[in-house]
Amino acid sequence: MELDLNLLGNALVSGLLLGGFYAAVTVGVSISFGMLDIVNIAHPAFIILGSYIAYIANSTLGMDPILASILGMPAFYLLGMAIYHIYDVSFERRGDNGLRGLAFFFGILFITEVTLVLVFGVDYRLVEASYIGVSIHLGPIDLPLRLLVPFGISLVLMGGLHLYMSRTFIGRAIQAVAQDPLALRLMAADPSKIKRIAFGLSLATASIGGAILIIIQPVEPSIGRDYIGRIFAICVMGGLGSFAGSLVAAMALGIMESITSTFFGPSWSPAVSFGFLLLTLAFRPSGLFGRA
Amino acid sequence: MAASLTISGLDAGYGAVRILEDVSLSVREGETVALLGTNGNGKSTLMKCIMGMVKPSAGSIVAEIDGTKFDLVGRSTEAIVDLGIAFVPEGRRLFPRLTVVENLLMGAFRPFARPQIEKNLAFCFEVFPRLAERRGQLAGSMSGGEQQMVALARALMSAPRLLLIDEPSVGLAPLLVSRTIDKIKELKDGAGLSVLMAEQNFTQAIRIADRGYVIVHGKIEFEGGSAAELNNNELIRQFYLGA
Repeated sequence: MELDLNLLGNALVSGLLLGGFYAAVTVGVSISFGMLDIVNIAHPAFIILGSYIAYIANSTLGMDPILASILGMPAFYLLGMAIYHIYDVSFERRGDNGLRGLAFFFGILFITEVTLVLVFGVDYRLVEASYIGVSIHLGPIDLPLRLLVPFGISLVLMGGLHLYMSRTFIGRAIQAVAQDPLALRLMAADPSKIKRIAFGLSLATASIGGAILIIIQPVEPSIGRDYIGRIFAICVMGGLGSFAGSLVAAMALGIMESITSTFFGPSWSPAVSFGFLLLTLAFRPSGLFGRA
Repeated sequence: MAASLTISGLDAGYGAVRILEDVSLSVREGETVALLGTNGNGKSTLMKCIMGMVKPSAGSIVAEIDGTKFDLVGRSTEAIVDLGIAFVPEGRRLFPRLTVVENLLMGAFRPFARPQIEKNLAFCFEVFPRLAERRGQLAGSMSGGEQQMVALARALMSAPRLLLIDEPSVGLAPLLVSRTIDKIKELKDGAGLSVLMAEQNFTQAIRIADRGYVIVHGKIEFEGGSAAELNNNELIRQFYLGA
């Protein structure tokens, strides 16, 4: 069989762009699961909520979905703080955060999903923007703006969060809080407050992730579940709490899925990507960029 | 620059178990005070009471910092640290997956300390040149002696007036113990602190202490007004020197 280089090139590029999208939807989990040890499996549901907010702003006001998601971030931030507060008071302070915490977020996942179904029904929704449907052609390589714009937004989001986490006092405290909450108190910081801020940030990224998702593909309320596995896989593969690791893992996963589905059919792609996760964990248990 | 600590009539315990009974002690401005006692006599509990980590059942803990008196009982740990009271806990409690320099910057989280970061970091690296060499290393991968350096330096980064140290010698090789004690003196003199140090290693602690208290079964049994007085005390001979 002769390898079609054009096809390979296109598969690589669209895999890379897809990886950028994966990184944006994973970054919130890198914060909540990777840094705070909170298994927020409801994160994809909030991404879908973000998609619907972008959809409403777009279909009623004609607003750009990305702009809508940026405007929506403060509301998501506050929602995140409120959810963490409930979680903290009800589970974490009692030491019940293992299984019960997981059940709590599972409940939130279903409530969010069902609410969206009741309000919007189960039809696929999509958004309109000037860059959707347009492609740049670089020789034989197609660069659809529908993927390129989210890719750029994702890099900006990751870069911004990385700077925030490494350069600011609150950012460093967020990295430290799960390592030793008592020691954090001895630094004059309140661990609950730091976690509340971090969880708020984590949800704020879901607003952007949602807009990116609905630009890339039409959305219905339960579609988030398709991403739960991938998101946690990327987070673990990259190394818990490492944005650089998540980005590399997301790109690797995107490229692998894209190449597998181009040459062997889409049904193989989960097998290949989760195979890669297992190999990564076998040889580097703390992930690609994990701090052991 | 002034900081002092006055504890009077302190009772504390866990549940029905009484650990501290009518403990009174003071640290005056610029002093290094040693709290001496073997394991299980209440040194750590007393430290935790001061830092708001254990709630006393009676008594008062008052810190005077730059001319203002603060009652510490009932305040949260983070609020007490924010007043300018730093604590190096037993077991050091570094952030293992942060680098040395990230740990030190965490020490300067307190808003008051932030404008002084450069000066304080330079001072820490001057006292502990080893930390400058290892600034990018993860704290969890360092040796015990190096970790104790990071813990002391991190406490200094909060620009405290009063420094509490719980068992700085624990888990260190004898040579490192005497070096760590020397460093505590160097830090104290350089930063103009008042220091309260809980320690079981009597001979080492007394080298740098101005005064000392001996705590036995939760009670202050002896108060030494000078290092010489402690050295010649009958109780201490009995407990430490086997005479």
